[in-house]
Amino acid sequence: MKDSLRQSMALLHTWAGLLFGWLLFAVFATGTAAYFESEITRWMQPEIVGSSDPLTAAEQAVDYLGQTAPDADSWIITLPNSRSATTQLFWSPSEEEGKTYSSAILAPDGKEVSARETSGGYFLYRFHFDLHYMPVIWARYLVGLAAMFMLVAILSGVITHKKIFADFFTLRFGKGQRSWLDAHNVTAVLALPFHLMITFTGLVTLATMYMPWGIAANYTAPQTFFESLFSSAPEVPRTGEKTPLAPVDAMMRQAAAHWDGAMPGSVTITNPGDSSASVTLKSSSEDAIGVRGEVLRFDGASGQLVQPAQAKGPALETESVMIGLHAGRFADWGLRWLYFISGLGGTIMVGSGLVMWTAKRRTRLPDPQRPHFGFRLVERLNIAAIAGLGAGIATYFLANRLLPLGMEQRADWEINSMFLAWSAIGLWGAIRPVRRAWVETLGITAALFLAIVPVDALTTSRGLLASLMAGDWAYVGFDIVMLLLAAGFGFAARKASGAKRSTSARKTYRTPERTPA
Amino acid sequence: MASKAVKARTGNGWGIAARVVAAIPANYLLTSLATACLARLLPMPTAEATLTATLLSFALLAVIALIAFAVRSVRALWLWMLVAGGVMAGTLWLSIVLGGRL
Repeated sequence: MKDSLRQSMALLHTWAGLLFGWLLFAVFATGTAAYFESEITRWMQPEIVGSSDPLTAAEQAVDYLGQTAPDADSWIITLPNSRSATTQLFWSPSEEEGKTYSSAILAPDGKEVSARETSGGYFLYRFHFDLHYMPVIWARYLVGLAAMFMLVAILSGVITHKKIFADFFTLRFGKGQRSWLDAHNVTAVLALPFHLMITFTGLVTLATMYMPWGIAANYTAPQTFFESLFSSAPEVPRTGEKTPLAPVDAMMRQAAAHWDGAMPGSVTITNPGDSSASVTLKSSSEDAIGVRGEVLRFDGASGQLVQPAQAKGPALETESVMIGLHAGRFADWGLRWLYFISGLGGTIMVGSGLVMWTAKRRTRLPDPQRPHFGFRLVERLNIAAIAGLGAGIATYFLANRLLPLGMEQRADWEINSMFLAWSAIGLWGAIRPVRRAWVETLGITAALFLAIVPVDALTTSRGLLASLMAGDWAYVGFDIVMLLLAAGFGFAARKASGAKRSTSARKTYRTPERTPA
Repeated sequence: MASKAVKARTGNGWGIAARVVAAIPANYLLTSLATACLARLLPMPTAEATLTATLLSFALLAVIALIAFAVRSVRALWLWMLVAGGVMAGTLWLSIVLGGRL
């Protein structure tokens, strides 16, 4: 009875995991990279040096926007923090056709950045839930569905493998399918709370989109719900009376006094330059776990505080902390690396699970020389997903250094390069004999990651050695992670080349009780 | 893949199809009903109750998906889901007819 429960959970685990495994691998990998979004962006814009403090940055931003978009309905200013040196500006409506808002990025000197055009780490962050080349809304539904499958796969995986915690202490290298199972278990158990947390909180970030029926049952218009929760500034029409904006730095100092010295992370100004102007300050995401930060609102003309911080109800506080835990923006260096390593663990867990699906079935094929279509499809998709995405990301970074600086739509071409490399690897993996395909694609991926370090040193003045001398840790860290990824893929390629001999030798070794998936 | 024990439990192809339908679309419908009911009935301020119900919904989705594959009888599974769905739809209807939030 108990065993058959485990077997039906194994069935669920296997197929729920397989169906969305490839997408989940990409989501985990790019989401993990997004923990270093700011650092990746810094690396991809080597022209930007120095750092900026929030007070100066806010003043520069208000000056810039006063000249560029004095008649906008609203300005949104995201201030620099300890990890990023730039100030991001958004204003609406946009003067450009077909866009709802315009944006600009200011360098520490207060001028618009003249760095190379790139989407930086932001692209990897957006890709992990918006994908690319497809409508954002469908991508989000697809990723949400995949996350739901992930949640079910994790829970059924724990039930399936009741000895999972004991088996954590077994890691057998060089044993083919056994090793894949062990790698799957070690990465699963090591960060099990992380995997559960990240999957659940990921769903929570888009909860009202995936499950809108609670709101529908209580509100005739969803907007009423959001307004009652987030107390956003009421929209007032301009009075037409020109009034200069009160000094924003004074408001920021007042806010910092409210928040035990923490500076705001963003400033929103509505009806700038008008007597009805209003300034909303939001606490920085670095200073608390909750992502729905504290908000203070000031009268733009007088600079007086008009709306003190409001207490959040327990549900909103919970939601805010869940999203905060997912995004990890509050994490300092130690915790950030732990997030990154756990995310890598999740990526390896998904990847090893996918490979295990084939490793487990290969020995039981009726004719191992001519596997059936489904088997071959999974095998090739695994190569495309695992080696392909790796090669794609490496190419994205290489394109950042190698594409001509003045190229039209340069940022788009960096992204296109990633998908071109990804497709090329997928195609290569599909036409070569499967063993060779693994070795070659993993080897190419390792070489691409390895190439990043010398290419960086040759094309910029901020190579590994120079950064090391200058104590520029964001750059040093980036290059070292690239070398480690190269080593990881190289190791995998080596293993793949040796795997042929060991699988056939151990065809008969199988304990039914220990083969859950 | 499907050993005898699994076959006995999950049934043949049709049995599995019935579980998949129960675990995905029917599960979503049932969870949506439960979320709507909780959002209206939880004794908290409206916005808080709505958010609480929404946050709980994903745990409920996952648990029902597991149950759909864990229970022995597909018939019993569907019977329970239909009864639960009927009760919740009735409650929701009553709650809306009687007024209050919204």
